[in-house]
Amino acid sequence: MKRHFRELSVAGALLAVLAAMAVFAPAFYQPQPLLSLATREAPTLIVACGMAFVIIARQIDISVGSQFSVCGVCAGLLAARGWPLAAVLPASVAIGALLGALNGFLVAGLGLPSIVVTLATMVTLRQGLNLVRQGEFVNLPDGVQWFGLSQTTGQWLLVGFALLVLVVLALALRHLAAGRFVYAIGSDAEAARLAGIRPQRGTFFIFVFMGALVGLAAMLNLVQSPQVQPLTGNGLELKVIAAVVVGGVAISGGRGNLWGAFAGLLLLACVAPALIHLRIEAYWEKAIQGAIILLAVVADGWRSRKAKG
Amino acid sequence: MKSRLLRLALLAGLVLGTVSGAAAAAGSKLVVAFLPKSKGNAYFISCKAGAEKAAKELGVELLFDGPTDSNAAKQNEIVENWITLGVDVIAVAAENREGISTALRKAQKQGIKVLTYDADAMPDARSFFVNQATPEGIGHALMDEAARLLNGEGEFAMIVATLTAANQREWQKHIEARLKDKYPKMKLVAVRPCDDLKDKAQSEATAIMSANPNLKLIMSICSPGVPGAAEAVKQAGKTGKVRVIGLGLPNENRRYVKDGVTDSVILWKTEDLGYLTIQAGVALAKDQLKKGATSFKAGSLGTFEIKGDNILLGKPFVFNKANIDQFNF
Repeated sequence: MKRHFRELSVAGALLAVLAAMAVFAPAFYQPQPLLSLATREAPTLIVACGMAFVIIARQIDISVGSQFSVCGVCAGLLAARGWPLAAVLPASVAIGALLGALNGFLVAGLGLPSIVVTLATMVTLRQGLNLVRQGEFVNLPDGVQWFGLSQTTGQWLLVGFALLVLVVLALALRHLAAGRFVYAIGSDAEAARLAGIRPQRGTFFIFVFMGALVGLAAMLNLVQSPQVQPLTGNGLELKVIAAVVVGGVAISGGRGNLWGAFAGLLLLACVAPALIHLRIEAYWEKAIQGAIILLAVVADGWRSRKAKG
Repeated sequence: MKSRLLRLALLAGLVLGTVSGAAAAAGSKLVVAFLPKSKGNAYFISCKAGAEKAAKELGVELLFDGPTDSNAAKQNEIVENWITLGVDVIAVAAENREGISTALRKAQKQGIKVLTYDADAMPDARSFFVNQATPEGIGHALMDEAARLLNGEGEFAMIVATLTAANQREWQKHIEARLKDKYPKMKLVAVRPCDDLKDKAQSEATAIMSANPNLKLIMSICSPGVPGAAEAVKQAGKTGKVRVIGLGLPNENRRYVKDGVTDSVILWKTEDLGYLTIQAGVALAKDQLKKGATSFKAGSLGTFEIKGDNILLGKPFVFNKANIDQFNF
């Protein structure tokens, strides 16, 4: 119980918000809008899972939003050229993995700090994309949206798939040796090395994995609408880092899990629709999200001080 | 490289001109240079089409060049080249208001007529600004179109880029003023930001519709918000029940307009903007258009109002199902 205090408190806050909505704005609970909103968060959830891996390993990747845009636009262009989705999907994942490998090489291979490396790749990729696309949308052929299935089927498929990825990754992180290595690298890289783990190699693969998940997420986003905006991933990095931190993953590495990140993501994603239903001005949205993040960080700080003291 | 070729071509024209009378007439053609923010952008390519039409009608030579991306420094370089080349008129869509002005002042000193279109430079660096739309014009066009679709009655919501962007605030102010003055039975129930993201606009519109069951229309005053809202309406199965309008480009909205999800997309006619700019530029060079004029007759498009040193393109244009296929940008 005490061990999972952070995750449970986020889940508690989420339940409180949902209960408040049931009382004050029951119209919030309509199946179609909720399913549409959940579908929109499905790609974000997958990126958040990857981000949790990266942060647990004591790194950060702020280039995920730009990677997401690049993968989305490339996948869109391939689909527009008539590639079948079964071929576009691996291509998008491969492009993501390649971009992740670049980050991984710079961080793990050259020993550069990940915040600077990924800041640089974030800006470079974003500007490069602007240069090539000039902001122009990629229009997709018919039959890409919802894989050519009905809207409801497509939406359930995407939400179900994202949840499946969450469950598989959460279990792998907890029970597989590779998952435990991520914690080991993040808690104490030197100790991990002495225990026979190669932290550099691990870090490299974590960045590659992050990129591959971004490529997958971009695909889940692509099939939701008939066009891709080149800015599509703007701000995604902040959204997922916030979700992960709110969910109790320590920014100093080595602690946290995907269930917490999932609860954090849902809590933050609820803010905007809740405000709309409660007819509160949009100015409050970012302020409330900021306050939630601050609260989470303060709780972490307080906890770690108590643990030391 | 390109400008060097042009210089050679002009030089060749001059040499030949001394030999043959007919060629001399061609050599004395006015040369008008037309600078977009970026030359690969569909919006400016469509401006160029209008500019070419005007140049043809007036019998002037049109030079079109610009940065491949939106690059202020590159714009300066191109203007400098045109000064060296000795063109007669330079028309600029300024990427950076202050940045381009030094080069434009230099051009004016050399006797080149300078005007701006689409995005203005500093007022002292050009004679006229061809203004495609005033904030008031945009605000009124959007609000009037919303009222027309709803017969002046019902709830609507607005999607903006951010709550603080200056141009968005200005448009919103005019929309709300028009609403108050003319449409007492219409009610604005929500204003939500989409951060210029189509996907965010879609989520916002989804939540707005579920919170406001009587909503009749969503108006987006940022361009990615229009297709975003349209996708939300389509997914909610409310096509025709919740109308979508907004400021945007035909290409980004074509599919939804054709499917009847989006009723109208409002912008100006970019071809007319290019046409009017070249007409005004040539009139300046021929001294037919002077400071202080209050109107200007631009060839086949008719007469335009001039307010101060702004030539006004006039009311925004409404793209809808009936006409959207005539426009490709």
